[in-house]
Amino acid sequence: MKRILYCTTLCLVLAGSSCKKIDNYAAPAETLTGTVLDAGLGTGVQTEIGSGGTRVKLLETSWSATPTPLYFVGKQDGTFNNTKVFAATYKVSVEGAFVPLVQTDASGATTVDKSQTITLKGTANLTFNVEPFLRIDWVGNPVTNADGTVSVQFKVTRGTTQTAFLSDVTDIFLFISDTQYDGNNNYDPRYSNQVTYAGTTGTALLGTTLTFTTKTALPKSQTYYLRVGARTGYGLKQYNYNAPKAIAIP
Amino acid sequence: MKKLKYIILLVIVLGASCKKLNIPPQNIIQDADVFGSSGGIEAYMARIYSELPIEDFRYSPTRGLNYFWIISPFPAISGEALSRDQTSATQETFNYWGAAYSLIRECNYLTETLPTYSKSYSTAQIANWMGEARFIRGATYFALVKRYGGVPLVDKVLTTPGETIDQVVATINELKIPRASEQAVYDFVATDLDYAYTNLPETNKHGRATKYVAAGFKSRAMLFAGSIAKYNTTTLVDPATSNRVCGIPSTKATAYFQAAYDAAKLLDGKFSLYKKTWAAGDPNAQYLNYVNLFFDATSTENVFVKEYQYPNSVHGYDAYNVPRQLIGANGYSAEVNPTLDLVEMYDGFPKNADGTIKNLDASGNYVLYTNTMDIFANAEPRLRATVILPGDIFKSQSIEIRRGIYTGSSAGGINPLIPVGSTATYPTTNLVTSATATQTAYTLPNGTKMNPAGLSGVFGSDGTCAISGFSVRKWLVPDKPTSEVLENRSDQTWIEMRYAEVLLNRAEAAYELYSAGVTTIDYRTDALTIINQIRDRAGAPLLLGFTSVNDIRKERRKELAFENKTWWDMRRWRVADVEQNGTLYRTLLPFFSADANKYFFDARFDERNRRYTFDPRWYYETIPTAAIAKSTNLIQNPGY
Repeated sequence: MKRILYCTTLCLVLAGSSCKKIDNYAAPAETLTGTVLDAGLGTGVQTEIGSGGTRVKLLETSWSATPTPLYFVGKQDGTFNNTKVFAATYKVSVEGAFVPLVQTDASGATTVDKSQTITLKGTANLTFNVEPFLRIDWVGNPVTNADGTVSVQFKVTRGTTQTAFLSDVTDIFLFISDTQYDGNNNYDPRYSNQVTYAGTTGTALLGTTLTFTTKTALPKSQTYYLRVGARTGYGLKQYNYNAPKAIAIP
Repeated sequence: MKKLKYIILLVIVLGASCKKLNIPPQNIIQDADVFGSSGGIEAYMARIYSELPIEDFRYSPTRGLNYFWIISPFPAISGEALSRDQTSATQETFNYWGAAYSLIRECNYLTETLPTYSKSYSTAQIANWMGEARFIRGATYFALVKRYGGVPLVDKVLTTPGETIDQVVATINELKIPRASEQAVYDFVATDLDYAYTNLPETNKHGRATKYVAAGFKSRAMLFAGSIAKYNTTTLVDPATSNRVCGIPSTKATAYFQAAYDAAKLLDGKFSLYKKTWAAGDPNAQYLNYVNLFFDATSTENVFVKEYQYPNSVHGYDAYNVPRQLIGANGYSAEVNPTLDLVEMYDGFPKNADGTIKNLDASGNYVLYTNTMDIFANAEPRLRATVILPGDIFKSQSIEIRRGIYTGSSAGGINPLIPVGSTATYPTTNLVTSATATQTAYTLPNGTKMNPAGLSGVFGSDGTCAISGFSVRKWLVPDKPTSEVLENRSDQTWIEMRYAEVLLNRAEAAYELYSAGVTTIDYRTDALTIINQIRDRAGAPLLLGFTSVNDIRKERRKELAFENKTWWDMRRWRVADVEQNGTLYRTLLPFFSADANKYFFDARFDERNRRYTFDPRWYYETIPTAAIAKSTNLIQNPGY
């Protein structure tokens, strides 16, 4: 009886251990880094962090002409960096609140394709020149008012002249956050000030200096980050932003 | 003698070997068992009907279809209501995909197999069953296209009986069907429903499709298609097939609206608005009539219903949604609390010029009322039948909703507790409130005792109460004893389609046709006549004309509130991202002034400061990544 048990155990151990498979494929270690630049200004296109902001699209074309795309999100200042990418051939493009780099006509045929094809080995540094839908520029610095609210001045202008992408401005939003990662997915609604526009009323404000004020006074002894976002009705209605400005409330 | 033994043995051996081994497995139901008798077909039908994607009492966007535990209710993502368990905007998260294609396969299997058994049945029977299968397939494709846009069209059983795994694998690439265009799917739905309309009878068993159900569904689907063509701004073309999987060319809008109008017209004269106990000029009769509309099995307004029956098929709508003071033994209550934004759409109470409720007098102080129902004394009967207003009677009880007792002076009027439009918390001075249902009574100046909050809330931290100042009434059984207010104990019928919806489909399509300049008939007048029929039954004043399509949309949202249609409407009108853009919904909280011995109402943003933002990507839901992994020719919707 005991012998049978021993034999069975031995057999099971041998059978079980022989099943072990080792995944000996090297871990992804190549680096894909770069910047999304405003073609007109040469500066990084500001965005929000997370899936609502700029993202990099990778098409691994080594095996198939129509692979399932891989995405990773970019950083707030328009740069992106991924240090865990497999070595392979990629068709790389970026998506966000700017004129799409890859455009198709009604039949799905590609009419514009500014994506870049790279054979990734080591580090690749890519620059994409894009035309943001909107540009937001600070005018001066944030000002603390007598009632404790903070006012900012800025201008919103178009970043493109292509007529297909001149949708009306639908929202201008002063975002307030206690971190610099300020945007439509991370703001304090108690102070942030959102204005929505119907029809062409928002578009009419383009190029003018606008003054936005926080909804209520900012609490004292804290640093806040202010940022303006604006968007048009085009596509997924993503926001364009300016760079956040910190204000320390004494 | 010995020889004989061998002969017998030989006979036995030979005889036994005659047994046929090539027979169908005895433990698996064969086609002949199912399709050979009408009983078998009825059982097949029962199964596919039960899988029909209906967003009813057992549906929630985050939990799915045919789910029993519905505490994150659908109205809490469309702005109709606030709920303690669903506190933000969301898209559906349960991936309705595989279940849809299983059901489509079952329909295809029936339509392919049934004709081979046709000699056992009459032509009428065959037509009826074929029509039902096509209706269910059409309704299922509609459920897919309204979620995802274009989806793969499968109009036949893709495998042949007895195929081995190896044979399936050999043809695997043929099974990876790419997405059809959104337009093609809507057209496919229309074709299926047209077939169903032609083949189905005028009447059928309860809960089964008739030709008018098919026509009603077609009016619904075509209205969706027309709205997408007109209002959608998203485009996605599959480069491999040139199919536009998201979006429909705007030039098609008129044809779809026309199809919606024509389909709705087919029900003309076959159904009518329920007015059994309605009486002109009698608000109470109109109110009771509107309540009864949802419970009368003989209602002339029911086009398509999903029936429940305790204990075989049940849901828990009453248990989850009764006002707090009528709470059942499971401890659930008040999951659906109508927002003031919804209530303000209705007529019959004082309003400001901008349509908001007038709770302040000319000098900016609260208007005082003896009873909380006084402000709603002349409310539209339909509102009372849809929403439990503070102090209204439900199950013979006055539903007591009160946020707190104001102990300050009322001399010279009471100023708003917080500035109008503020999101601040209420001050603690001059205000007595309760955090939970365990209350300490406050002694009023006249010596009587009163709990700070009402029996149904509003409590400061316990969310099982009327957090918006209202409780839902629609669908709640008015005479269900509290002992039966339990989960899996409710069995009222879900009315998936009532004639009012078909009329509203027709009115909306008519107005869109009028806007597009179609003048074959006077569509605008037709729309106005219909809207006024609905308003008349609701007890609302009649409209003299339209200012925009929003008048029709608003009527639709009121009439179909809490019927799980509004969110889909907001999507197809492409207004959801505008309506829910960092949005706070509003509430109306009653307070009692101890000094004045009267009530006043504070209209404010949701105290919990729950903001709703609809991501524009959600107009097309995420194709489940598991589906793409299996069928690599599927392309994902934009932004995911």
